[in-house]
Amino acid sequence: MAVEPPIGGLATPAPGPSDIDAAAAAGGGRRRAPIGNRLVSGILLVPGIAWLLVFFVVPVAMIFVVSFGSRGPLDSISLEHLSLDNYRRALDPVFLPTLLNSLRYAAATTILSLAIGYPIAYWISRYGGRNKTLLLIIVMLPFWTSYLIRTYAWQIVLRDNGVVNSILMAIGVTSEPIILLNTDFSVILGMTYGFLPFAILPLYVSIDRLDPALVAAARDLYASGRAAFLHVTLPLTMPGIIAASILTFIPAIGDFVTPDILGGSETTTIAKVVQELFLQGRDWPYGAALGFMLMLLTLGGTLLAIGPLRREVGGL
Amino acid sequence: MTHEHDGSTIDLEQALDRYLLERRITRRQLLERIGAVGAAAALAPIIAACTSSAASPSPAPSASAAASAAASAAAPSPSAEPTPVPSPEAELNIYNWTEYIGENTIPSFEAKYGVKVNLDFFANTDEAYAKLGNDGGGYDLSFPISVDIPAFVAKGALLELDKSLIPNLKNLGAEWADPKYDPGNAHSMPYMWWTTGIGYDTTKVTDTPTSSKALWDPRYAKHIGMLDDYQEVFGLTLIQLGYDANTSDLGQLDEATALLEQQKPLVRVYTTNTREMMSSKDNWIGHIWGADIYTIQESNENVLYYIPEEGGVKGSDTMAVFSGAQHPIAAHLFINHMLDAHVSADNTNFIYYMGPNAAAKAFIDPAILSDPSVNPDQEIVAKLQELIDLGPELRDEYQKRWHQLGR
Amino acid sequence: MKPRNRWLSAYAVVVYVFLFAPIVVLILFSFNSSRANFQWEGFTLDWYPTLFKNRRLLDAVSVTLRVALVAVVVSTVIGTLLGLALARVRFRGRAAAETLLLVPMVTPEIIMGLSLLVFFFAAFGGRGSFGQLALAHITFCISYVAIVVRARAAGMNPQLEEAARDLGASAFGAFRYITLPLIRPAIVSGALLAFALSFDDYVVTTFNAGVGSSTLPLFIYSKVKFGVTPEINAISTIIVAVTAVAVLVAWRLNRRRDDETLVVAEPEAEPGRP
Repeated sequence: MAVEPPIGGLATPAPGPSDIDAAAAAGGGRRRAPIGNRLVSGILLVPGIAWLLVFFVVPVAMIFVVSFGSRGPLDSISLEHLSLDNYRRALDPVFLPTLLNSLRYAAATTILSLAIGYPIAYWISRYGGRNKTLLLIIVMLPFWTSYLIRTYAWQIVLRDNGVVNSILMAIGVTSEPIILLNTDFSVILGMTYGFLPFAILPLYVSIDRLDPALVAAARDLYASGRAAFLHVTLPLTMPGIIAASILTFIPAIGDFVTPDILGGSETTTIAKVVQELFLQGRDWPYGAALGFMLMLLTLGGTLLAIGPLRREVGGL
Repeated sequence: MTHEHDGSTIDLEQALDRYLLERRITRRQLLERIGAVGAAAALAPIIAACTSSAASPSPAPSASAAASAAASAAAPSPSAEPTPVPSPEAELNIYNWTEYIGENTIPSFEAKYGVKVNLDFFANTDEAYAKLGNDGGGYDLSFPISVDIPAFVAKGALLELDKSLIPNLKNLGAEWADPKYDPGNAHSMPYMWWTTGIGYDTTKVTDTPTSSKALWDPRYAKHIGMLDDYQEVFGLTLIQLGYDANTSDLGQLDEATALLEQQKPLVRVYTTNTREMMSSKDNWIGHIWGADIYTIQESNENVLYYIPEEGGVKGSDTMAVFSGAQHPIAAHLFINHMLDAHVSADNTNFIYYMGPNAAAKAFIDPAILSDPSVNPDQEIVAKLQELIDLGPELRDEYQKRWHQLGR
Repeated sequence: MKPRNRWLSAYAVVVYVFLFAPIVVLILFSFNSSRANFQWEGFTLDWYPTLFKNRRLLDAVSVTLRVALVAVVVSTVIGTLLGLALARVRFRGRAAAETLLLVPMVTPEIIMGLSLLVFFFAAFGGRGSFGQLALAHITFCISYVAIVVRARAAGMNPQLEEAARDLGASAFGAFRYITLPLIRPAIVSGALLAFALSFDDYVVTTFNAGVGSSTLPLFIYSKVKFGVTPEINAISTIIVAVTAVAVLVAWRLNRRRDDETLVVAEPEAEPGRP
């Protein structure tokens, strides 16, 4: 094929050839320009890795150890008999509906965020001109208010005598208020709203570096607009799509605030259950076990999902 | 027991509400005016309104009660200080619910003793307990729920109170002198108490329900609110089935779970924000705490409260000093301050919860005192059950079923 | 210049409206004379002066902003370095490092919050403080910055840097004049994300804030039980307004510099050139 896209996804053994390179070296070697010497590599890597090791890995490892313990008297943590009991209990099928809720909401949120975010990121990049950064910042502006307050604002909009229902009844579409709040719909709406900037930003970053000359070249070669998009733009912006998916899906699985505020009786998420086990159940070992299972699931699921995406893009 | 308002009370209520609505002030603001301006001036229009309409006996006693309350504000009040007054530390760290204390309580304490109070807020007790840990987590004083006191004491998390620094404890009602959760009030002092029951919007619920079964009524499908607290919800259901609210009989618990499963499709929301539950008009009937009725009525005046005829739950919370407290003297003086009759009344008048303070009753807004949602008769209260600390194994059983319900 | 695509522009408008709808509602209700935040009663400006008298609210805002500032600066620096490394440097254990980057994001907040609580208590006897809070915030922000920077850096043409080196630039010079400007959008995006994350964080903050370092989200969340008063709307409005102004000013100042570097480093950005 004419263009081999660069791959910016996860766990790549090496970055792919640049787009300019690829045209000249179809199927050929991958050229790499290693960044200078070991000192530079050190400067780049050490701060981040060290920080994460000290302030993340070690503390979480402590809780990981706790997950093998058991709840002692007076809700303390007993590490006397380490076992896999908590993990076995965590596999209890009673959690399945809440787990499915989390997955459903996260998936819907991610897909919607991508679908909504991509065109707007494209618009800002292509037509923003000098005001590009400004437009981007305006997108972020709502997110510097409190998340909780914004979600409450959605309550005002969606409740039975809220803005939407008032309008619908005023124009005669319906005589009884439609139940919008405390449903799957309100949860997904709220979550998509909350995670949209997490999708728009990486998408924008990726779309912005796309050379419009390539699209123009494809059109010159008699590709239709749609074909140019599918075969040039989309693959080239795949790193951004992947980043956006990750930055949306993963936190969405852990979000329990939105389903709590905008949800109803049947919208509980697994994140809330984990929270509850720690706080209300005062059973840290059990909560930890369930939490780690969730982490494993999310991580595994994400890596699995990204794999096919990258392969489809071609080359790797 | 009557929850219905007899004719005379309704007149006063209606007149009061009309008066308030015209002037766009809340009941609380009215109380402040009473204090500032004097009962006669503030209540005169109401009295005029009442006497001009059907003559009824109650406005007069209420007016004079309010008048005497204002008058006795000038007279010496039941508030004592330890002698000699110890010098407190420079600061005090308190961890409390938001707006769960009178507006002037802390400023007046700060002014009186020259102590700087650092107040942090929490949103739910479980989170707060995790933060407080085994010695207060940096806080001197907090407000644990009474059922949790035994667990805290067993962990050694609480200081034994030095009663000589709390002479105001004589203001406590007799029934609070020796509570089951903390014999002799050795480690805590009661703060507020409440009942849990049912609130309903009279514009949507046309009959007058008296049973907790009203929360299962399919006519209100998707407009029912329940508390997001498994002990309260199971408590309500178990009592409805005629069992103990804290039963350890798993068979009974399963029965309750089945009943709740039936209810689930009818429930709109599970939340502890009762004000929003009932104010937003998305819910027509809800499982709420009685004292919240005032804040609810500020937004939706059509909501009434009742305790189910099958029986209900009551609860209370406490003030306790933690073992890691850096400022124990200030903490004790603060507790003493809170037990002062005036301060306790101020707290009640602001947050609308009833306190355990007998001496404070003279200064509490009579509208609150006579309101059965906040202050039901003692004989009713005596029949209510208290939620107790279930202990880890039983708690697990309850929670397992709570998870089964999809919570 | 490309002709404007009408449908796309219309769509953009709809999206912006969607994004700002709750904010407009928020601002509107800050003028609500009722304490209840969802029933409109009447217009009043009273909440604004009230909020300035609320010492605890102002303290909370101050702490929130200061923590966010520290968190953004540090996590952006560290995250950028990390993102660059993962995109461009070949080293052993790279896959492990990539996974390490993902793990903080998949960790449930309660575990992250409690683990830091336990860690600081065990290691330093810490009981929650501004410093502890800042460290916690930095920790969860790094991954987000790194991933965004990584995505952009990975797509960058390494030849540009090589060319600069060939022409005599030092490694640092090449970095400063070539790489950095090219990944700047990603750095800015990462910083924006980090700020939003830190500003709004609740769970991790609950367990790592101490006496006197309570933040705005904690303040607001605790009001959940009694209803969020319009004071909160007022402070949110002010924050949005201040941010908008600050950002506008910064952008105008920045634009001048942008114009100069554009010519040198971004040949691709000029549309229409074959």
